This record gives sequence, C-alpha cells and structure tokens, in this order.
Amino acid sequence: MFSTPRLITIALCAALNFAIGAIVYLVKLPIYLDSIGTILCALLLFPDRWASFICAMVAGLTSVAIIGLLVNPFYPWFAFTSVCIAAVSAFITSSGAHIFRARPAQPGSFAIRVILYGVITGVIAAIVSAPVVAYLFGGVTGSGSAFIVAMFLRSGQQLMNAVLLSGLAADPVDKVIQVLIAALLYRSTPADFIALVRGSGMPARA
Amino acid sequence: MGRFEFISGPNFSGRSAALRETMQRNAAGDGTFYIGPYAEAALSGLTSTVRDEVLLYRNVAAERPVFPLPVGDEALLRDPQSLSGGEQVLLALHCFSQSAYRHIAIDTALEQLDPGNRRGAFDYVALAAESVTLIDNRDPPDGWTVLPQEPFTKPAFAIDWPKLAELIEPHAASGLSISGLNFKYRNGKSIFENARVTLEPGRAYRVSGVNGAGKTTLFKLLVGALVPGCATMTLGNETYRPWRDGNRALSLATQNPDQQWCGATLAEDIARRCKALTAHPHVERIDAQRVQALAAALGAASLDTHLYELPLAARKRLSWTWPFAGVHPWVMLDEPTVGQDRATRENLAQYMTLMCARGYGVMFVTHDDEFAAQLPHRVLTVADRALRLT
Amino acid sequence: MTPNGAAVFAIVTLAAAVAANLRGLGTLCFIVAAFAATEVRGPALTALRRSILIMLPLAAFMLAVWVGIVGRSPAEIAARVDGSRLSAFAYAATVSLRLFIIIFVVQAALMCFHNESPFTAIRALTLPLPVKRLVVLTLSLIATLRHAVDRSHTALVSSGVITRRLSLRNVMHGWVLIQSVWLTAITTVLGRVRDKWPAENTLVLLEPALRPIVRPPGTADVIWGAAALTGLAFVIFERVSGAA
Repeated sequence: MFSTPRLITIALCAALNFAIGAIVYLVKLPIYLDSIGTILCALLLFPDRWASFICAMVAGLTSVAIIGLLVNPFYPWFAFTSVCIAAVSAFITSSGAHIFRARPAQPGSFAIRVILYGVITGVIAAIVSAPVVAYLFGGVTGSGSAFIVAMFLRSGQQLMNAVLLSGLAADPVDKVIQVLIAALLYRSTPADFIALVRGSGMPARA
Repeated sequence: MGRFEFISGPNFSGRSAALRETMQRNAAGDGTFYIGPYAEAALSGLTSTVRDEVLLYRNVAAERPVFPLPVGDEALLRDPQSLSGGEQVLLALHCFSQSAYRHIAIDTALEQLDPGNRRGAFDYVALAAESVTLIDNRDPPDGWTVLPQEPFTKPAFAIDWPKLAELIEPHAASGLSISGLNFKYRNGKSIFENARVTLEPGRAYRVSGVNGAGKTTLFKLLVGALVPGCATMTLGNETYRPWRDGNRALSLATQNPDQQWCGATLAEDIARRCKALTAHPHVERIDAQRVQALAAALGAASLDTHLYELPLAARKRLSWTWPFAGVHPWVMLDEPTVGQDRATRENLAQYMTLMCARGYGVMFVTHDDEFAAQLPHRVLTVADRALRLT
Repeated sequence: MTPNGAAVFAIVTLAAAVAANLRGLGTLCFIVAAFAATEVRGPALTALRRSILIMLPLAAFMLAVWVGIVGRSPAEIAARVDGSRLSAFAYAATVSLRLFIIIFVVQAALMCFHNESPFTAIRALTLPLPVKRLVVLTLSLIATLRHAVDRSHTALVSSGVITRRLSLRNVMHGWVLIQSVWLTAITTVLGRVRDKWPAENTLVLLEPALRPIVRPPGTADVIWGAAALTGLAFVIFERVSGAA
C-alpha cells in the first residue's frame, strides 16, 4: 500500500495543505483552503479507490497533526472531517478524474462536476464538523459564519441546529472552491508524476 | 589511487545518462553520493534542519577528513533549503565527508560555487573519494580522465542566436534611480539604510554580495513584492513605486526557472503575462506572436509542451523568454549560466551585450567569472546596508 | 522529561479539558500552570504569549456573539426561557477557558523540546517507523513549498499576474501561485526519486537516524502523568456528581 511514490504523494499533499495557508496569506484572500491536498491526493491515485481513500486520509491526518502542532492548535479536533473529505474525494470526486484531465478541456462537464462534488463534500463536512464546532467552540470559530450562527440562535434555534445550518450555508461554497483548485492542479500535474504514483513504472527522463 | 572522471560535452549530449550509468554500476555496492543540478538537489529532502541533514548521513566509522560546514553553529537549526545554492552544495560535501559513501557523482552543481570554494571542492573530492564522476561546463581539473560525449548532429533544444538577435526590439530604457532606501524585515533585521544608486540604461550591472546581504531583497523591492520603509525611486523622470502601482521596470529570470512560470505550458505562461500587461497603460503592448517566435528561437519545439516535462537546461533557457521579450526596460537574470554549456554561455554574454547596445538595462547575478568577463559591466555591490557601484 | 511523557501529559489533559465543566477547568488550570512553571520554565512565557495571541481575539469574538447578539446561553435556548446576558457570558467564558487550556497545554509541551531538532524529537517518540518517516518527509516538503511560495510570489508579482495587496486579480489568479508552487515541488521530488534516492539509497538512512533511543520514563514523566490522570479523574467525578 505505501510504496515510495505513494509515501511521497501523501507527504506532498499533506505539505500542500499546510503551505496553502501561507499562499492565502500572501495573496490576502479572506478564506482558508485546508483540504486541497487531501482532494488532490485522491485524484492522483484514482482509479484504485481504496488506495486513494487511505492515502488521502493519511495525507489529511498528517497535515491536521502538523498544522495543529505548529500553527493552529484547534485543527486536530477536525480530524474526522478530514477523514470524511478523503472518503468523498476517493469514492465520489475522483470519478471526475478523466474529465478534469481531458484535452481539449470540456468546460461544461468540468464545471458541473466541480460544483456537484464540491457541494457533496461541503454538506458532509458541515454535518461532521457541527458537533465539534457546537460543543468545543460554542458555535464560534472566528470566521464570519459565527454571525450566521448567531442569527439562527436569536431566532430560537438550538445550538447544534444553528451550527449545522450555518455550516450547510458556508461549507459547500468553500469546498466547491477547493475541489476546483484541486481539479486544476490535477489537470496541470505532469503525466510523468501521475504514472509514477499509479505504479506505471519510473518514467524515462525527457 | 582514486578514479576521477570528467564527463564533457554540450547540453543534451547524454552526459546525465552517462552519469546515471556510473551510479547504477555502484548501486550493487555501497551506492554513490549524488549532488544534482537542480534546486535542492544537493539535499536529501528528508530533513528540515542543517543539524538533521548532517545527522542523517553521519557514519561514525567514516575515517576521512571532514569538509568544513559552510555555516556556523548558530545556523544548525536553520532550514537547509534557506541556504543559498552554493551553501547547499557545500553542506552536501560536508555530509559526504561524514558519510560511508566511497563514490560521489556531481552533475554541474559545482558551478554554483565561487572560484575559491570550487577549487576547495575539487581538492577535497580528489583527496577523499575513491571515485568521482563529474559533469561540469567549465574546464576539467588537471589529471582527470575526460569522457567526452559527442554532440548530436541535430541537438535538441538548440538556440537560434541569430534569430534571437533579430527579434530584439530597440528600447530607449530609462535610468533607474534609488535614493533614501530604508528596509527592515519584521524580525528587525535591517537590510538597507539610506541606500542610493543610479543605474544607467544601456549598461550591464553584475550584482554581487554575500548571502544575506540583500540582493534578493533589492529585486523584490524593485518589482514591488516588498514595501520599503521609505524610498524615492524614479524610472527616467517619473516616480516609480512598484509596491503601489505594480512592476513596470524589471523582467526577472529566477535562478530556479520553475519558480517563475505562470502556467503549466509556455502558451499558458505567455498568455497570462500578456493579459497582465493590460493593467499597465504605460507598458507597450506586446506582440504575442513575437514572444512565441522568441520561445521557438530559445528551443521550444511546441508552446503546448508541459514545461515541467522538459529537461532542466531547456527550462532554464525558456525562462529567458520573457526578459528577452523586451516588455520592460530592465532585465534581471539570476545565475543564468548554471547548467549551460560553454557555447551557450558565450552566446548569452554576446546577446546580453547586444541588449545593452539596443538600449536595455541589464542586471545579473553570477558566480561564473569567465562569463562575467565576456560581458562589459559594472559591479553593483550590496553590502553593509548600502549599494555601491564600481 | 521525555517526549513520550510530555505527549502523554498533553493528551490526557486535553481529554480532561474537553470533558470538564468550569470547576474542572479551574483544577486543570492549576495543574497545567504547575507543569509550565516546573518543567517548561522560561519558555513557558513564550507559550503563554502565543496562546494569548491566538485566544484573545477568539474570546472577544465569542463574547461579542454570545453576550452582544444572542444574549442567553445554549441551555436557556434549549429550555426556551428568556435567559440573561450573564449566563451567556458564563458560557462563553467557559468555552474560552477550555480552548485556552487546550492551546496552552500543546504549546507548553512543545516548548519542552524547543532546542531539539525535529529528528531528535521525533526519534524519541514511540511511534512506528513508517509514521516517523512520513512526518520527517512532510516537514521537509513543507520547507520546500514555503521557499517555492516566496520565490514564486515574487516572480508572479513582478509579471503582474498577481498583486501584492488584496485585489480582484488575486481572487481570479491566486490559484496560479498554488499551481506554480505545486509544480515546482513535483519537479524537485521527481528529481530526487529518479536520481538522488536510488543512487544513495537515501531512504534507508532514515532507519538508524529515527530508531528510538529508549529512554525509560523518568520521575517527571511519572509525576506529571499522574497529575494529568488525577485531573481527568476529578473532571469525570465532577461530571458524574453534577449529573447526579
């Protein structure tokens, strides 16, 4: 299962999850994209879906642990969310792998699949994260979605419901962006590297 | 008596393949310590501090003289990838000296060293290794066995220098003037204090300075990636504030060509750069077809080839496309000759001289004194928080 | 204190913090403060400063939301009573204190080894070798990506594809920076996998470098492990007696 190329892919994708934070900071974007590496790992190992899931899960958990220790100590509490994102990416999102790399590009199919897979990933992430956000963070994680939670709470919704509804409003948008970027990265990844990762042998040097 | 082999020949003549064959022969035994040509190729890729890099390779049974570590004890917890290219090569040699490897293979990595360190490296490997296999674009050391690789009759990625020269558009570049430059990083380290310099167009400037002096910081300030504490910059008669208004002075070719691409293919890269120019009414519109012709003259068989599937030496050449396109009046090439054969280096020096003659300003960083000697230039020294022209 | 001992202390205390009510959190504060003062000492101030920097904005935000906007606690919402801002404040304070302890425990445990390199710290942990190998490889690649981010950012700003400040251009083209960094990293890795690692058999060198130097638990490990377990037991007792 964990050949050298797969080990490298896991480490690279985990490192990408970590480094994306630095990129987002430099380009001053008010979002945090923390699972692009996990989704990309699953795409790279398609069509072996079990390998895809396990490697993506390990990549996600590795990045969660390292980010938790070095940057954001709240991250590890969302480890199970990372596992679920890996599962969705391996068993659902990776079905679009051939469309994502199709040349010439098929913009319509590409866009539909990105939106569909992003929404599914976002819904599942919101459901799985809700108990952590509700109990550990009191519904407030420091992002703007806290105001949506507050709005639902004022209207009489209980905390768990308010967090869930807020997550369902925000997470799909966030995950659509992440699936889009992962798909674009997958599209631009050299064929050499994909062949190496999928075990098609060490490609000849150009 | 050790075996010292120097694989000579032009780019793309099969030198790296020959080197790999040698390494494969040693694979059944102890293996070969390898220092490659690309960025971070000197390092193991398995550690995140200098101390750990040495620890990884250290073999207590090794009984040869130790090659000096290029950094002091205070830098042992530094990330080895934060060292300059030359320091990484020297660190690799230190690790080799501490290891159990008897063979060493080096693919053009020594070109990143200044002359003194380069001589020291040759002397050391000749003394300490049982066998050395070296690819280098300079002259072989005395006494080494030269294994020439014959050039192909139709070399891959050949540069059409006459065509490139035809494609230079004359440019009446403006002078670049900097005064009152103050810059300090957030950690408090002051890089420039009241620095000033005036650079005239139509000339070449070799930018020199020790690692950490501020060469890279200067380029980042000139292209607007960093904001100075205060500075007055002018481009010709106009105030130049790239950190606010964007870069319109300098085209950059980075030392590692892979860190400057704006796309996965050359077509994507050129298209995005051309589109980005629409934000600058001051900059003349660039003819995309001319840029494509430049790329073809630099050896690109197709603009749709995936850049990262090309050999490093080819990518390095193609990284000159945008600077040679003449979009900006000034051009900066960082270590342009690393990994390039003698003929390419000579032609590049002539081409850069021609660019100066056609009105461009050229800045370059290099450890290659032979290359610099072929290109009339002044030296811009970055040191002691100041800029000095000699 | 050994890294394993610090890890055990941190994990047990974190588990206790998640389960604790306000009284439990108070007890944990005392245990963690004692740990920081005796085991971490000087660097504990750095851990404290970092924890405050992380937690203060979040706590302020939490108070603003719960006290300023919602005006009652979750229990009062569930019971459908009007509630009070005071109970909202108590709730937000409890959550903030819990989060602060979580942050501080991790920072303080890490500070025990701030002078050690990743190799020596990871080597000392009782983890399977494949896990250690993955962690060191990931840390090295993080460094590779970070340098690539810095260089690529300069190059893309110089070409005008992205800007230094927030802009619509960055929203549309920021992903080009991610692509550049990703492709640079792949090229670096491919080079290593093709040339350096097979020639040197480099990965094999990791085994002796990461083989744990067995350090039996010392007095500090036992004391603080016991303290953490005592804290956990108290928290559970509080929960059970509170429920009863």
